[in-house]
Amino acid sequence: MSPNATLYLALAFYAAGTIVALATLFARGRHAQHAGLALMIGGWVSHTIWIGTICARTGHPPLTNLPEAASFVAWTVFLAELVLFIRYRVHAASFFVYPLVLMLLTISAVVREPFAQMDPSLRSGLFTTHVLLSTVGVAALLVGLAFSTLAFVQDRALKSKHRGALWEWIPSLNVCRTLSYRTLAVGFSIYTLGILAGILWSYRTTSELIDLRVKQIGGVVAWILFAILLQSYISGVYRGPRTAVISACAFVATVIAILGIHRV
Amino acid sequence: MALILVGLNHRTAPIDVRERLSIADAQLPVMLTELKAIGGIDGASLLSTCNRVEAIVSASNEDVIDSIVKWLSERSGAHRTSLEKHLYVLRYEDVIKHLFRVASGLDSMVVGEPQIGGQVRAAFLIAQRCGSLDSLLERLFEGTMRVAKRVRTDTGIGEHAVSVPYAAVELARKIFGDLRGLQALLLGAGEIGELTAEHLNGFGLRQIFVANRSHESAQQLASRFNGQAIYFEGIDPYLATCDIVIASTAAPHYLIEPPQIERALAARRMRTLFLIDLSVPRNINPDVAKIDGAYLYNIDDLQQVADSNRELRREKAEKAETIVAREVENFRHRLVAQDAVPTILELQQRLESIRTAELEKTLRKLGPITAEQRESIEMLTTQMVNKILHYPILRLKDSEPHERESLRETIRKIFGLR
Repeated sequence: MSPNATLYLALAFYAAGTIVALATLFARGRHAQHAGLALMIGGWVSHTIWIGTICARTGHPPLTNLPEAASFVAWTVFLAELVLFIRYRVHAASFFVYPLVLMLLTISAVVREPFAQMDPSLRSGLFTTHVLLSTVGVAALLVGLAFSTLAFVQDRALKSKHRGALWEWIPSLNVCRTLSYRTLAVGFSIYTLGILAGILWSYRTTSELIDLRVKQIGGVVAWILFAILLQSYISGVYRGPRTAVISACAFVATVIAILGIHRV
Repeated sequence: MALILVGLNHRTAPIDVRERLSIADAQLPVMLTELKAIGGIDGASLLSTCNRVEAIVSASNEDVIDSIVKWLSERSGAHRTSLEKHLYVLRYEDVIKHLFRVASGLDSMVVGEPQIGGQVRAAFLIAQRCGSLDSLLERLFEGTMRVAKRVRTDTGIGEHAVSVPYAAVELARKIFGDLRGLQALLLGAGEIGELTAEHLNGFGLRQIFVANRSHESAQQLASRFNGQAIYFEGIDPYLATCDIVIASTAAPHYLIEPPQIERALAARRMRTLFLIDLSVPRNINPDVAKIDGAYLYNIDDLQQVADSNRELRREKAEKAETIVAREVENFRHRLVAQDAVPTILELQQRLESIRTAELEKTLRKLGPITAEQRESIEMLTTQMVNKILHYPILRLKDSEPHERESLRETIRKIFGLR
């Protein structure tokens, strides 16, 4: 069997799960919700097997090029969403998270790069720490953005006194903001540690703190924007369109940082 | 077996007739005993709410209808003829459908209202405790509660408030989620404001502060909510600590202006403020709605929410009717299959006993035969019996309710079952 068979299977499951989840916007039903989630979990299991296969073949985590990194971020994002779903039962975040997972894995499937052997100089604990912390941090930040979007949609609906299509699905404004704040705070802390580990690793291997490639610039810009977002939560000015613009920019910067990963 | 419902509701009877028939919970056990004592009734239950009184019974035949009507007219003290014009009588499948619709809130005065589900459940539990239910009614009530739950979960028909006070509660929950631990400030002693505060308080508010021009009235009102009366002039600090503000005074001018809310929100940091202005003329400057973190709804906004919810419920009711229709069909089929089981078992036992008796006789006549020969004869006779039973069993399982009883009787007569 082709090593990519499980990747395509995961992609098919994610696509089906996303379609079913989005369909529940129009036809409410607990069964449909559960079916969407079950399909996504099926995809995630298949995805896990694919990641395991790459690890076994190359002997290192699948983070050496864009397809692998995008896939690993997608895997972590869904895991974070699943954990939050189990804890808080908020279905609405799936409207944003599932398409994001699907998009990231589609990048993995479409951008073809051979399985890379890692440069021996990169085989260090610090590098692995940098990559793992950055990925987990980014995943949490992306899920936090999904909740932030839900909070924004809910805020606009309450202000305008017009319900949108998501009104019934979105939990209370308070829940959305709390979950968004918590995931952003946790994600930001982990992401910061990941960046610090990356800077340290870069300094040890190249004697430079940072170079100016797309992923580094995107990563640092995203970090700054997330810091502003978090600050607006903490200072209590988290309201209105300004926050939405910062969130959108942070999302774009994060995606650019992910797409900027070619080969480490 | 006949399944019968005799009753009246808000559509068929005026309140003075309904109140005469209405049965208090404490009286239900006695009433159930009386109802079940009517000859021919196997199982009985009573559903009595402010909008309906219904007797649901399973009986050996439909002759009991007359006795039930007589019992109801005696209870109400009304002339039978005058009561009869308000009564409806439903049979079998219509009873199942009616009960499913009632428990789902589809037959309520306010479509989708959630209380009726609990009332049907209570009626079931009381009848169960009194031992007045037979297996048919047990299954019917269990099925009813399952369907009601499914309708509410799948359509969300009861989730939207259709009155102004409840619309305010719905919005408060949409903003804060859990209302427990929140504080509210009630300005004025207007009736609708008081009602709104009462509904909100029902969701576990920590404290309600009441401010009124007359401090004495404020104290009286506050005591109703276990709240605290405050002076009207000193409300500003409370705007910073309270999460919900309800204004319902007769003041002809604004009592709350944007700068007050800006100051309050600055002190509240991330916490939002929900302002409900139920007064006409309005007591809260509408410009407050432009401030981030403040959500202002006046009486028209809330009325609009309630109206659009009513429309939403109507749309959801259509979907709910489809679910009910499907569930009625499923339930009916399960009932038919379960009802047929004893007859099918008896029939199988009867033919099996004939087969074994005849087989033994034949084997005795035949004399010694090999084990293989005996097995062949056994197989042949078993297959013959199974083939003979195939169509009667199939017909019994698939029969329509109205023909099932006669079919069962026919089969019992033909095959000489007890």
